[in-house]
Formats: sequence, C-alpha cells, structure tokens
Amino acid sequence: MRRAVPDIEVHERKLGASSLSRRALLGAGAAGAVVTVPVVGRLLRLGDALSAPSKAQDVKILQLVLQVEYTQVAFYEEALAQAQLSGDVREFAQRALGHERQHLAAVKKALGSKAGAKPRFAFGDKTKNARAFMRAAIQLEDIAVAGYNGQAANLTKGTLAVAAEIVSVEARHAAWVRALAGEVAAPEPVDHPMTAQQAAAGLRALGVRS
Amino acid sequence: MTDAGFEAFLDAADRDGALAETRARAETASRRRLLGMAAAGAGALALTRASGARAARLAASDVDILNYALVLEYLQATFYTEAERSGALTGKTAQAARVVGATERAHVKAFLQLLGSQAVKRPTFNFEGTTEQQRPFLKTAVALEDLAVAAYKGQAPKLRSNAVLAAAVGIHSVEARHAAWMRQLFGITPAVNAFDKPASRKSVGRLVASTHFISATPRMKRRNKPGFTG
Repeated sequence: MRRAVPDIEVHERKLGASSLSRRALLGAGAAGAVVTVPVVGRLLRLGDALSAPSKAQDVKILQLVLQVEYTQVAFYEEALAQAQLSGDVREFAQRALGHERQHLAAVKKALGSKAGAKPRFAFGDKTKNARAFMRAAIQLEDIAVAGYNGQAANLTKGTLAVAAEIVSVEARHAAWVRALAGEVAAPEPVDHPMTAQQAAAGLRALGVRS
Repeated sequence: MTDAGFEAFLDAADRDGALAETRARAETASRRRLLGMAAAGAGALALTRASGARAARLAASDVDILNYALVLEYLQATFYTEAERSGALTGKTAQAARVVGATERAHVKAFLQLLGSQAVKRPTFNFEGTTEQQRPFLKTAVALEDLAVAAYKGQAPKLRSNAVLAAAVGIHSVEARHAAWMRQLFGITPAVNAFDKPASRKSVGRLVASTHFISATPRMKRRNKPGFTG
C-alpha cells in the first residue's frame, strides 16, 4: 500500500497526457533558488514579500509545506504510539499517517537537496489521549488546509495543480476527525486562507520547535 | 458563516478589485433593468466608481469557469434542499444535509453575485427519487461531493484572476470536507487516497449527464453573450 514516491507517477499516468504533476513538482526543486535552512521561523519571511509566481518562489513555499507535512507525520506517529487510540479513531490516525507520509515523500522529492531538516516537536498532552488527539488533529488539519489555500495564488500553475491534490485530502481528514469528535464536520461555507506567518504560528502553537 | 461573512471573505480575497468591479457592473445592470431609463443616473455613478478603482475585469475564461462551477453548485444546492424538504432524512444525516445544503446555497448566491447578468440560469433538475430515501440520498451526496472536489481541482490552475482563485480554493476544500462527511455517514472511508485527482470538464460533464439529474440545459441569455471573444 505504501509506495512512497511512485504515487505521483501512478497518479500522473492515470491523468493521461498531463505532465503537470510530477514535472512541476520536481521542476520546483530543480530551480536554482538558494534556500537557507528552512526552520519555521524563517518562513516568516514568506507572505507579503511574495511576488509573481516563479519556480524559485515555489521552492520557498514548498519549504512551508514541508514543515506542515513533517509535523503531521510526527504528530500521527506519536499519537498512534502514545494516545491509546482504538476503533474508528485509530483507523483514522493510521489512514491519515499513511497519506501524510506520501505527501512528505512527494514534497521532499520535489525539493531534493534543498529540503529543509525535520523540526523538533513537543506535542505535550496532545498525543497522550484520544480526546486531546482529536482536538489537536482538527487544528493541525485546518492549518494545513488554510496554509495550502493561502499560497494558491503564489504558486506556479503546475505546482498549484499538485498542491490542490493534497489540500483536499487534508480537508477530508479535518472533516473526518471532526465527525469522530462529534462535531459539525464542515462548519464554514468557505475555508479562509492563512498567510505563511499565520500557518507557522499555528504550527508553533501545536508544538513545533525549531 | 452568514452571507455577510461570505461577502466579507470575498472582499478580503479581492486583492485586484476584479470581484468588486464585476459586482458593481452586475448591480448596475440589475438596477437598470429594475428602474429602466430613470436609473441611468445611479447606474452611471456605479460605473464611475467601478472604473475609478483599478478596473480589472474578469477574463471571459474565468466567467466561463465560474458558470461551470455555478451549474455544479445549483445541482448540489437543489439536491440538498429537495432532500431536506422530503422529510426522509433522520438523525446525523438530516443535520448534515441542513448544514451542507445551506453552504451550497451560499455558494450559488456568491456566484450569482459575482457573475451578475452573465450568470447561467438554474437548470431544471430531476433527482429521480434519490432525495426521498436516506441511503440513496447519501450515496448520491458522496458522488456529487467527490465530483465537485475533482471539478474545482481541475479548474483552479486555469483561473486567471487571483481573487476568483482565492474564492475557488476556499470552496474546493469545503467540498472536500462535505465529501468526507457524507462518506463517513454512508459508512465508507472518508479519505481513500493520499492524492485527490482532478477531473476535466469533459469527464465531469459526462458523469453529470449519466445521472440524468439535469433535465433541461442552462443557456446564456442571448443578449448577454459577449460581443467578441478576442
């Protein structure tokens, strides 16, 4: 079931003639932008300073995306190990982890040698019991959705096409875990975007330490 | 979120002023229709205001995509409204249908405001009984929501206005939430794959046609067709 990177290839084949996804994603990594060590704090430079979409800008944005995906993988791994999840909630966490690992692999591959290091995490109680896990998972998935959506206009069209394939899966996770928590699964008629700064702050509040 | 909230969001997203300008033109047009020649003064005022701002107009291709999205939103909104009215839904499914229905109606309203006189008319729908029983309702809801996610995803990279793109991606992810919700209620996995695939307009059209839910095709009113497509 886990096919780390080939997923995008399989996916692309299914899309038929379209060469958007993989080439765009890989192309972003191949662009010659110099990217400094991408800790969450450095991402604060994103946002207002962004200009017209370019491969170099895609690389900067993908560093934010990378942090989001690192966080999600670490969060679900720790919760599955420590939160004593069972039944539907455990199934959700396992499925979500599988997806996030594939997202992480795809973003890492796109960035190649420019991929930033994995941050450190201190999730605290959020991975220690099912209730706290679900609450934090809702926040984390919502940040992912808002973070991706916030960058839509800043990405080149090819990278946007790939990001769009990821963001709706994050939205599905958010709705899924809301339903499991007994909440209204889709409370808003439209998802509000977050700037890179807001997304980075949200990650920090959840326990990302870089 | 209320309609006012949605409006505020569209305003916030409207960095290049295209949406406000389109709306201003739409308001002008409807005011003219309402009041006839007597409204010429007010209409002229609105136009002046709009062109005084950086009058970036929506590209014809964006209008076309918005109309395509509008038809999908009409389809969904009508489906949920009809299901709600049928009284056949119970429990969590009834609650979800109310929430999702209200959202789809808000989407329709937002697109109508954006497009103004350029909006396609609501088609006539026939849901062939799927709104009158809980299981067929859920099964159809799953199909419609998954379709909407794939359809928006297929069009997002083609949009030219950043303001329209911001609105479209904000709606796209909400449709994904709906899809997951309906799947959960139907008892199937809410998120199957790590990557959600886009669908072309052609394949969405084929799928919608295969349902026979649309019993009359929407048409643009002739007088609103663009004079040239340059």
